[in-house]
Amino acid sequence: MKLSSYVIKRLLYSIFVLLGLSIVIFIIARVVPGDPARLALGPRAPQFAVDALREEMHLDKSLPVQYFYWIKGVATGDLGKSLITKRNVVEDIAEFLPATLELVLVSALFVIVFSIFFGALAARYKDTWVDSFIRVMAYTGVAVPSFVLAVIFLLLFGYIWPIIPVLGRLSAGIQPPPTITGLITIDSLLTGQLDVFFDALKHLILPALALAVGPLFQEARIVRSAMTENMGKDYLAAAVGFGMPDHVITGKYLLKPSLIPAVSVMGLDIASLMSNAFLVEVIFNWPGISRYGMEAMLRKDLNAISAVIIVFGLIFVLVNILVDLIVAYLDPRIRLGGRSS
Amino acid sequence: MGNLVKHKKLAAMIALVFFTAVVLAGCGGGGDQEGTSQGGERIIRISEANVPNIDPGVGSDYASSIALVNIYDTLVFPDHDGSVKPWVATDWETSSDGLTWTFNLRKGVKFHNGDELTAEDVVFSMERMLTMGEGYAYLFTEVVEDVKALDDYTVQFKLKKPFGPFLQTLVRLYILNKEQVVSNLGDGPYGEMGDYGKEWLITNDAGSGPYMVKELKKQEYLYAVKFDDYWGGWEEDAPEAFKIIGTTSPSTIRTLMTRRELEITDQWQTKEALEALDNIEGVEVNAAFTGTILNIMLNTKKAPTDDVHFRKALTYLFDYDTAVNSLFPGCKKTVGPISESLPGFSKDLTVFEQNLEKAKEELAKSKYAGSLDQYTVELAWIAEVPDEEKVALMLQSNAQELGINVDVVKVPWLSFVDQIAKPESTPNASLVFVSPHYGEAGTIFESRYHSKSTGTWEQCEWLQDKELDAMIEDAIGTINFEERLPKYGAIQKKIVDLAPTIWAFDQAEKRAYQADYVMWPAAERIKKDEPVTPVMGYMFYFRDFKVYPDRIPQ
Amino acid sequence: MNISVQSKQEVPALSFSVRVKSGVKKNWYKFSRNKLSVVGLIIVLIIVFSAIFAPLIVPYPHHAGKFVDYANAGTAPCAEYWFGTDNFGRDIFSRIIFAFRGALYMAALVLAIAVPIGVFLGLIAGYYQGTFLDTVIMRVTDIFLSVPPLLLALAIAAVLKPNLTNAMIAVTVMWWPWYTRLVYGMATSTRNEYFVKASELIGAGRLHIIFREILPNCLSPIFTKMALDVGWVILIGASLSFVGLGEQPPTPALGQMVSDGTRYMPDLWWMTVFPSLAIAVTILGFNLMGDGIRDMMAKGEYDRE
Repeated sequence: MKLSSYVIKRLLYSIFVLLGLSIVIFIIARVVPGDPARLALGPRAPQFAVDALREEMHLDKSLPVQYFYWIKGVATGDLGKSLITKRNVVEDIAEFLPATLELVLVSALFVIVFSIFFGALAARYKDTWVDSFIRVMAYTGVAVPSFVLAVIFLLLFGYIWPIIPVLGRLSAGIQPPPTITGLITIDSLLTGQLDVFFDALKHLILPALALAVGPLFQEARIVRSAMTENMGKDYLAAAVGFGMPDHVITGKYLLKPSLIPAVSVMGLDIASLMSNAFLVEVIFNWPGISRYGMEAMLRKDLNAISAVIIVFGLIFVLVNILVDLIVAYLDPRIRLGGRSS
Repeated sequence: MGNLVKHKKLAAMIALVFFTAVVLAGCGGGGDQEGTSQGGERIIRISEANVPNIDPGVGSDYASSIALVNIYDTLVFPDHDGSVKPWVATDWETSSDGLTWTFNLRKGVKFHNGDELTAEDVVFSMERMLTMGEGYAYLFTEVVEDVKALDDYTVQFKLKKPFGPFLQTLVRLYILNKEQVVSNLGDGPYGEMGDYGKEWLITNDAGSGPYMVKELKKQEYLYAVKFDDYWGGWEEDAPEAFKIIGTTSPSTIRTLMTRRELEITDQWQTKEALEALDNIEGVEVNAAFTGTILNIMLNTKKAPTDDVHFRKALTYLFDYDTAVNSLFPGCKKTVGPISESLPGFSKDLTVFEQNLEKAKEELAKSKYAGSLDQYTVELAWIAEVPDEEKVALMLQSNAQELGINVDVVKVPWLSFVDQIAKPESTPNASLVFVSPHYGEAGTIFESRYHSKSTGTWEQCEWLQDKELDAMIEDAIGTINFEERLPKYGAIQKKIVDLAPTIWAFDQAEKRAYQADYVMWPAAERIKKDEPVTPVMGYMFYFRDFKVYPDRIPQ
Repeated sequence: MNISVQSKQEVPALSFSVRVKSGVKKNWYKFSRNKLSVVGLIIVLIIVFSAIFAPLIVPYPHHAGKFVDYANAGTAPCAEYWFGTDNFGRDIFSRIIFAFRGALYMAALVLAIAVPIGVFLGLIAGYYQGTFLDTVIMRVTDIFLSVPPLLLALAIAAVLKPNLTNAMIAVTVMWWPWYTRLVYGMATSTRNEYFVKASELIGAGRLHIIFREILPNCLSPIFTKMALDVGWVILIGASLSFVGLGEQPPTPALGQMVSDGTRYMPDLWWMTVFPSLAIAVTILGFNLMGDGIRDMMAKGEYDRE
């Protein structure tokens, strides 16, 4: 199957899945007792204003009709008003999403870089203490939830050994760079503000690590076993025999195929990064969409909850398509068409 | 054979990856420029439970009140003793029946955009509040019949009935710039007024107060700067800006205080956190009695708390001593619904004490005496106020001694507000701090025990007692303060007899602040044992503060 | 397991016991080949044992209930209170042991409900592969799998009233699709095997084929996944209770204890550190044991690395 038609097919299916998800969310959001219009205006608001708002929000209609209006809004970028911020949820998402993306991207970067590093290290020193250490870390990494890790980091670096900032995205007194992408690290680099860049990066380390440690060592184990397996393969010896340059051998014949199994579980890792971000952002006071979503959930801000889940569903679906594409790139034997079912 | 590759190449590759890792990690340690706290700026930063709602027709919680007090002007201003003094209104007169109030306005009061404040603006602000019915509107909806501008500088209020504390309530009528709001209307449910400017006023102000909104960052903070043309003028060393930060996370607060990036903390820090803050050099803890009481509100319309003897048993069960000694040191025991610091407080009542014998007696008189095991008292505490859990669990274990089942539930504020809208869904007992809205006992009677306030978070009792309603209306309808006082006393006695509430303690509002470089007028007054205004938010009228950046401890 | 069923029918009593024993022995060999699995098993046994007998073994059983003792609040770990006391003066050690109860109860109940539902739907969809029923079931499964699981659980638990039952409902709702997908894959391949075709030919009913022919062949991976999932359910449960969406106070829950502790850091560090360790050790134990069970279930791979 051609790449473009594969991507289109996957995207179409994703739209179907997201539509289904929207129905599930809509049902969850509407079974809650309480009148959203009354909630939005407060207990002392006069009845006529509440009625007017109910009509404006189409709450006086039947559920399927309400869904129709809601999904129409979603399609046109109108997700309704948030109870907490009192403005359209779309604006909230535009404001809070970049911080979360930055956090998840940096922790994904941690996972990729360090898992290859530790995986290669474990393969190189197979069956030595290095290998055992990484194995133990893999077991512990999975067993320690990222929110526990975050709390421990907060205790260690917030109080006992305060060398890295533990709260927020930037130190007080440092002006954030003008918003271009919303990712402070990138924006500060684009505008050439190195001090802001480093400050932002320092703030990223702990939350990103708290998210990354779990998946990181697991991936390292996967890289390790793939590499040990591939190192014994005849084609590598053959490549050496042909006198190929070192970087071609390590890069193309050893590393690339060894990454395939690691990349294919990356989709699941991203899921764990994104959902754990929900707790970690709260702990590190990270002004991202997860903290916003968490607050929305605790306060039953239904429009915000629905929007956050839709956005995460969308990101998750796209990431999974991307992961499949990368795996296909790394391993030409995989035919994309066969995997779509 | 594979070993050939295994050693040399792999080592090289590891080195490569390691290099990347080091670069990544190295970046972290690279930037050493510590964020110096905004180079000598005179600023007051204060933490609160939430980012303020700066729409004067909507905001009414503590954070919002602080913001509104500083951004907007009012006709009158509360004095320390609970009375009010002229402000935008220079003087006023009342008709003999107490139904017509005429105010003369100060000339030359400028809004932040340069427009002059006129009587039209006052009329608009009152009408907006009455129509929307949110925030502090309930103070006026039952009282104000009509408001009109007699000329540019004279405004007249017509009341539906005589209302004694009318002047006191006017400290909640924040004056908006009509023209500015009207030119920023959006779509909404209020007819020709659209959304009444609600959307725009979320992040903008239309006020004339000493500070103007510079930036409102959702979920993070409100930042406001000095309005140079303020009609009242400025003193030296007054803060040039203030920031209300919407977090109470103890770790955040402690870090910020240590780094001198926060001047005053919120009042929701736990006892333990305050002790730690107090240990920071130059930080002091200020305890102010501002009329706030922690109420354990008992739902009188739901079994088993619908029985007066059962409720009385609960009031005898509660361990008041532990509450004020161990849990909330510095707070005072109460005698009833009104705090000692609020004018109108009755001295004729006895202080509540724990008394298990009396509790048993009352319990025996209640209709649930033989069937306690069939009932559970649902006790809700507010998730945002962690210290309430201590009180909740203590009452739970107190109640267990007499065989009363108490189920403790943690409820986030917004769900709570939704839950208490109906008597059936209101918990048997709810832990809620209530502060006076204006400086007199009448505010508490109205907002806590009059039937009109049922279904709001300030009355989860659903008392609905006709006789009491009449007494309250009579008292607040009395224009003369001296005549109001005995009526207030009678109401307090009546309420105590009904036992709708366990008044846990008279709260000392405790906040840590940077005493070394911030002069906080209210804290100074408290040190001298002088009264401070009990009106929520007015302790933080930042224009009266002084900041000395050169005294910041290193 | 299936060995013993066969032997009952065919083999005389004496050798039956021998074969069962050798089956157990073989399984134990496979399980214990990795010493870590044994460590995991021991951890799990200790946790389960202490949870069941919590009222008998902890020093202060009443501290797990409606109890406050403000005189002893915030005591550091000492001989009397091994893990210290919390801000209410309650023994943290006792509360951790009692918290295991909720965690295990949740894991057991969630799996006991989610697995049968997921397996049943997977079998049906697999058997009726290519039909409308298959499409409906698997599309719904895909929808549930399209959001990160913790996220959906958080949303459902948040919308409902916060308590242990609703937390379990939330986790169950997001857990079944994984089993549906697992079983679906196996069922579709098994239904085309010759022995299934053969029993179809001799007129076996659909129910017989689904539950007697296809299901037994899926059991081993199902049990393996269940064993590995226990740790995950406990983790998700702890995450929910960390944000206040699980067991409500005063009943202790591990996540809830950690989150309460963060308010008293660093002074009462034991309030955070010990429940954190308890979570980590519990999940570690179940994961290690799960790995062992996976090794045990793996067919005839004696020489696996």
